[in-house]
Amino acid sequence: MIAENSHISLNPTLKTTTLSSMEPKKAGKIAHLETKNPGILQKLIAMGILPGMPVTLLRRSPSYFFEVDQTRYAVDREIANHIYVSY
Amino acid sequence: MKLPLICPEKECCRGKKDCTPGKGLPKIVLVGSPNVGKSSLFNALSGNYTVVSNYPGTSVEISRGKSKIGDKEYEIIDTPGMYSLLPVSEEERVSQRLLFDEKTFVCLHVVDARNLRRMLSFTLQLLEARLPLILVLNMMDEAEERGIEIDIQELSRSLKIPVVGTVSSEGKGIEELKASIMEFTHEKSTREIDYGPEVEPYVSEIESLLGTTEETGISKRSLALLLLQGDRTALDFVYSPGEVYRRKREKSKGSETGFEECQKLAEIASIKAGIPLSYLFTLKRQELVNEIVEQVMEVQEKEKETGQETKTEKKKRETKKILLAENIDSVLTHPLLGIPVLFLVLYFGLYLFVGVFAAGTLVDFLENTVFGEHINPLVTTWFTSLVPYPTLQDLFVGEYGIFTQAVTYTIALILPIVGAFFLVFSIIEDAGYLPRLGLLLDGMFKKIGLSGRAVIPMVLGFGCSTMATMVTRTLETKRERLISTILLALAIPCSAQLGIILSILSGNPNGLIIWAGVILLEFAFIGYLAAKLLPGEAPTFILEMPPLRIPQLSNIAVKTYSRMHWYFLEVLPLFVLASVLIWIGRLTGLFALALKAMEYPTVWIGLPADAADIFLFGFFRRDFGAAGLYGMHDAGLLTGVQLVVAAVTLTLFMPCVAQFMMTIKERGFKTALAISGFIFPSAFLAGFIVNTLLKVLGVSL
Repeated sequence: MIAENSHISLNPTLKTTTLSSMEPKKAGKIAHLETKNPGILQKLIAMGILPGMPVTLLRRSPSYFFEVDQTRYAVDREIANHIYVSY
Repeated sequence: MKLPLICPEKECCRGKKDCTPGKGLPKIVLVGSPNVGKSSLFNALSGNYTVVSNYPGTSVEISRGKSKIGDKEYEIIDTPGMYSLLPVSEEERVSQRLLFDEKTFVCLHVVDARNLRRMLSFTLQLLEARLPLILVLNMMDEAEERGIEIDIQELSRSLKIPVVGTVSSEGKGIEELKASIMEFTHEKSTREIDYGPEVEPYVSEIESLLGTTEETGISKRSLALLLLQGDRTALDFVYSPGEVYRRKREKSKGSETGFEECQKLAEIASIKAGIPLSYLFTLKRQELVNEIVEQVMEVQEKEKETGQETKTEKKKRETKKILLAENIDSVLTHPLLGIPVLFLVLYFGLYLFVGVFAAGTLVDFLENTVFGEHINPLVTTWFTSLVPYPTLQDLFVGEYGIFTQAVTYTIALILPIVGAFFLVFSIIEDAGYLPRLGLLLDGMFKKIGLSGRAVIPMVLGFGCSTMATMVTRTLETKRERLISTILLALAIPCSAQLGIILSILSGNPNGLIIWAGVILLEFAFIGYLAAKLLPGEAPTFILEMPPLRIPQLSNIAVKTYSRMHWYFLEVLPLFVLASVLIWIGRLTGLFALALKAMEYPTVWIGLPADAADIFLFGFFRRDFGAAGLYGMHDAGLLTGVQLVVAAVTLTLFMPCVAQFMMTIKERGFKTALAISGFIFPSAFLAGFIVNTLLKVLGVSL
């Protein structure tokens, strides 16, 4: 945690969070995916939600609504917690 | 939703095993993600109309057609959408299996040109499988609208396969595609992806365990990679008896040891890699994809564009169009504004158009004026004078006769209502509203054990629950499929039934509210109970949102027509069958006996004994029963309270025969029987409770 915090303070313009706590309407990139749940991971990578892709969160409620590259997706909180973004 | 094609017999078919047009001809297989225009490309190539939907995850069956390109004939195969060669859902598995089993002349990988970066990874997988491949960049127009430019020649050189740009909905690029199919030769040398020193040794080791691949559609390396990722189809394929590898296996080791060895290797490789292998493979492939995309694709930034003086009128309009779509999208998906929009859609689309206009005005005119006053008396007189036997007269033109009941109900009652519903459904489907509805309702659906994805079969259920039961196949978990099947059978009234009930109760707003409230309560209660009681994990929700589009008139017309076509092929024979069964029943006295038995629960819920035949008809079709209710209402035989009680009970009653058969097909005989065994008493119980409550409270409607 401390390391993470110091990292953020060094780079105030770039921080890594889960998609669920990303600020809406900001452009970012997908940093990595949580790999502990193989089912969700498989779904995400099959749909092309991959590290390095540009991402913008459009809405957090009623579901997480976001754009990756040119495509829009809706996911629930559980899945949004598996996507890490940096912006 | 795949429906029967409108085409000459034996020229094409959908899902039927006995029908194989173009059998033995060279095969052209269309593969690709959902919603990239495979079906409209299939239409363009085969010259047939098939239903094209603007939402993902609805094609559940393989379509086959025949086509003449140049002077050679081909069999064209359209597959359910798949995102990658490693399937996540059952529909994807259908497509994957097809690639395993069929020997293809050429495979067309159809991608959405806007999303090249996301879809090229699958192209690489298909190349890895050594499938004969042409890449089709579809929806080039939408890509251009967004300022995306793709160097097709460069992409073709880089992948070493033909690449064609098309706009399949407008028929653009189809001739070019046909030309490259004619000239196609299978280039064996392809770009190989190196997955890194940690895993490559294991890939080779598994490859060496496999025998020849001559008889299969996909390469050994591809099969080995799938085995490493624990793919079920690949495992079945390699380690099940009677398959191509049998001989080799018998010679060396037993199937069990081969299977275990394979799993062990996968485990070790995964540990070495440190992350799940499917993730590793995808990341490695994406590296190459990014490299290629950098070379061939250019995106003009929207901001830059607006700054340019040279911007044409066309471009301005395109930007405006995109902005408008964005604004509408943000209203549709708004947590607060989305709900009133939904109610507006329900009010205008369902209540006013289907209920009041189609089921009220139109049915009234068709049934009472056209059939009641003109056609039926004519046919009855004509038939009676022609056939002097009362028994036969009864079968054809009697009270429950084939003509006077089955045909009249079908044409005068069901046709306008179902047609109106499918028209509305096709419009909201093509506009891309359904996935937005899924997004909006996901939270609520989670409470009844379903994800937002289940919104699609549920809404379709208001049209035809039988069709909807088939579409539950697109849901991810067994648990979700079961819960949605139960709810469809129990609480979702189909359009014919709904239309009639709406029209009967439209003069009685309080009754309508009570009816809707009770059905909604039961839906929520049973869903909640099922979610609590059924074992298994809670569902997760992930859905691709296709862009909002203005529905095309021709597409809507074709869709509505082919859905009705499907419906009538299924409905009319059952109506006729019901008429024949009732006729036999009346002759033998069985009908009277069954009526007698049905009278007990009918009277128990406070209805006149005569209403028993509504429920008896309900066994054959729910809408048939609703039609009976309509008749009793017309004759003024029911009070307001009785009408509401009858409507509630009938809505919650057994699904029609066709839906029962579909439930058996999709969920198995035992499950179907259990669902029905639950529905019968619960429908009457709900009717009883409503009747008692209304009486105790002294409500008169």
